[in-house]
Amino acid sequence: MTDTTIISPMTGTPTASPFIVARHIAKAFGGAQALKDVSIDLLPGEVHGLVGANGAGKSTMIRILAGLNHPDAGSIEIDGQTTNVANAQAAAAMGMSFIHQELAFVPGMTVLQNIMLGVPKPSRLGLTDWSAIAREVAPIAKRVGITAPLNASVKGLSTAENWLINICRALVRKSRLIVMDEPTASLSASESEKLFTIIRDLSRSGVTVLYVSHRLDEILDLCDRVSVFRDGRSVDEFSRAGLTRQKLVESIVGKGLDETVKPVRAEMSREVVLDVADISRLPRVKSVSFALHRGEVLGIGGLVGAGRTELARLIYGADRPDGGSMTLSGKAFRPKSPSAAVKAGLGLVPEERRAEGLVLSKSVLFNLGLANLDSLVSGKFVPLLSRKRQAHMATETIKALAIKTQGMDQPVGRLSGGNQQKVVIGRWLRREPDVLILDEPTRGVDIGARGEIHKLIRQLAQSGMAVLVISSEPDELPDLCDRVLVMAEGSVVRELSGDKLSRNAIVEASYEVTKQGVPA
Amino acid sequence: MSDISVSGRRLTPQMKAGLGIFARYATILGLFAMILVFSLLSPKAFPTLGNFTNVLNQASLAMIIAGGLTLAVIVGELDLSIGFAASLHGIIVTGLIVHDKLPIPVAVVIVVALGALIGLVNGFIVTKIKVNSVIATLGVGTILTGFAFAYSSGVPIVAGVPEAFLQLSLGRWLFGIPNNIVVMVVVLGALWTLVERTSLGQEIQAVGGNAAAARLAGIDVDRIKILGFVVSGMCAALTGILLASRLGSGTASAADSYLLTAFAAVFLGSATLRDGEFHVLGTFVGALIIAFGFNGLNIFGAPTFSQYVFQGAILIVAVGLSSLGRSLAES
Repeated sequence: MTDTTIISPMTGTPTASPFIVARHIAKAFGGAQALKDVSIDLLPGEVHGLVGANGAGKSTMIRILAGLNHPDAGSIEIDGQTTNVANAQAAAAMGMSFIHQELAFVPGMTVLQNIMLGVPKPSRLGLTDWSAIAREVAPIAKRVGITAPLNASVKGLSTAENWLINICRALVRKSRLIVMDEPTASLSASESEKLFTIIRDLSRSGVTVLYVSHRLDEILDLCDRVSVFRDGRSVDEFSRAGLTRQKLVESIVGKGLDETVKPVRAEMSREVVLDVADISRLPRVKSVSFALHRGEVLGIGGLVGAGRTELARLIYGADRPDGGSMTLSGKAFRPKSPSAAVKAGLGLVPEERRAEGLVLSKSVLFNLGLANLDSLVSGKFVPLLSRKRQAHMATETIKALAIKTQGMDQPVGRLSGGNQQKVVIGRWLRREPDVLILDEPTRGVDIGARGEIHKLIRQLAQSGMAVLVISSEPDELPDLCDRVLVMAEGSVVRELSGDKLSRNAIVEASYEVTKQGVPA
Repeated sequence: MSDISVSGRRLTPQMKAGLGIFARYATILGLFAMILVFSLLSPKAFPTLGNFTNVLNQASLAMIIAGGLTLAVIVGELDLSIGFAASLHGIIVTGLIVHDKLPIPVAVVIVVALGALIGLVNGFIVTKIKVNSVIATLGVGTILTGFAFAYSSGVPIVAGVPEAFLQLSLGRWLFGIPNNIVVMVVVLGALWTLVERTSLGQEIQAVGGNAAAARLAGIDVDRIKILGFVVSGMCAALTGILLASRLGSGTASAADSYLLTAFAAVFLGSATLRDGEFHVLGTFVGALIIAFGFNGLNIFGAPTFSQYVFQGAILIVAVGLSSLGRSLAES
């Protein structure tokens, strides 16, 4: 284990001199103080966890290390020398690599070309010597577990393989620090395990890994030390010995965590709102059937890639099914587009809130209004927007959802992830659709906001809405849902409710079929 | 690694805020500075009510076509057909009046409807056949130029243009205000109201801001984009008609140069008061800057080549300011 060689388990003090020392970093954007006072040390060869609620300042600190933002105050030392990370090129030259949630690669290029993106390449007679590069890269690619041939196109590679390409690039660059932001957010359990093996291997060879995640079990499992940010400050630094999940959560939240209250289940109506029969869109969705009742929260669990988002898109009219039928409140329902689905009484909170949920440059008010425009106009002859109605709608929604914003006119892009998500949900509150679909409603959302969003979903169901919740986190569904369907490889493989509904049952069902390799 | 010293450029938040304010007000400051300089250099000819009315009158045609283009760019598309379309409209409206002896109002209505149809075609090609809007509208515009030459056989329609048609552009029917200015104020006022004060306008802005999010919020994105092209096409028709009236003739490629002017105005406008976002009021300011610039060059008898240099330079400056505003807003 690497931790014993780097950290004295008795004292918890570093025994190697740190690679990077950041002291008292502060940074403001406009009026918002993103970082107030952050200090962090990174030792050679350690896996250093970084946790904190959304808006705690993790991303800003990473952007400062990456040279994308510049601190207003504080100092950064690398190998004991005070430096100024001017831009991304400087950060790369200092031995730092950054791998983000949203990975970018060039689709038309090969694996090798993508690995070498932005890396200086040897040339012969002015031409890039690809065969020499391939010889050099091959062992590194093998080490990080890239199985695709280097000359294969990256088209169709999975997110996991994309991560490996990025790690490989970092190693080719001889990076001494690799920063990973939510690496497992879109990886399956087995892919995550593979990634952890690679991270441990990197750590043994002296590469520092800064591991940013909301998944505390991974942090506890993987990291030698953990820094906790809260509200723009670095509040705690733990070494692994004796660290528990409870301790971490308390540090993140900043106060004693309330006991989770099991939601009170209202008597569920038997009235079917949405009936889905044998709906398909091959190869991702295969003959799925279920009934969604008034006042019910129905969960859809399963692994990433099981076809859950694709199913939601079919119901919402974003894609067309190639088989099957649906009824909504007893009438045939075949939406040609999302706008038709919305008119019929559906609402969607999409998976990617920044890319698909929000107009980031526009205000909170603007974004809340998008699904309610008919109710915001007044005037008989010319339907003009009423600022009064808009303000009333926005103030009410902001209050009802406790959205933390400087005001309804603040650009929504400046809010933290959890508050952005509340805006996307809030859009539908006033419209009161019969069916609301939420795709990964708490992904990348801090613990506090997550609890609030769950409470809100229950309230919506109690008010008579039929709610469909898609989640990749098995922990999330049992408390939240009345029933859970587990999907695997495009089919519903299990329905769980009552005593049968538990985290373990969901996980078991997700894997059962993939082990057999044959969908039911 | 530590021996690498980097002397990076570092902007303090104050500097950044200052730069942001500068970017937002630079165009308006530029406008006033230009007026001030011209007034000082030519106190007799430039700062007179007559000259200012003249500038606004001249600029009105560009403002109308640029106002329409603003709608197309707000929904996230480019419309390169407007200049060519306006030329064709000028020929057709004169032809309908001179050759077909149609009453002037009927001819005007037909041509505006034709403008809407061209917009519809552009919108259809872009949204349904999914051709990039630059290519689609460039193609359509070129075809329209072909039609213009075919319709006029390459010869300007000059003879027999009735005085009443000339009065459309030259008249001062309302309180002695030139008609062009009245039409421009009505059109830009309507466009501003549409974009800023109606629910349809919110949908238009949402489609331009994030089409995927707008779609999933239940907005019919294709419909909104087509609407943007239709408005752009109708405004091009209005400009084409007024230009033909002012020139007293229908001439192929008479209005082609409005394309560049309109783009410069729209981009200057996006850097005005907002961070690189297109809006109608900004387009008005942008077109005013360009108009005063040309007016100044004229008054001081600058050679013809300098007008091209001014036109090209202002386009680059406009797009530069626009993207500066955007990048400051994002950082």
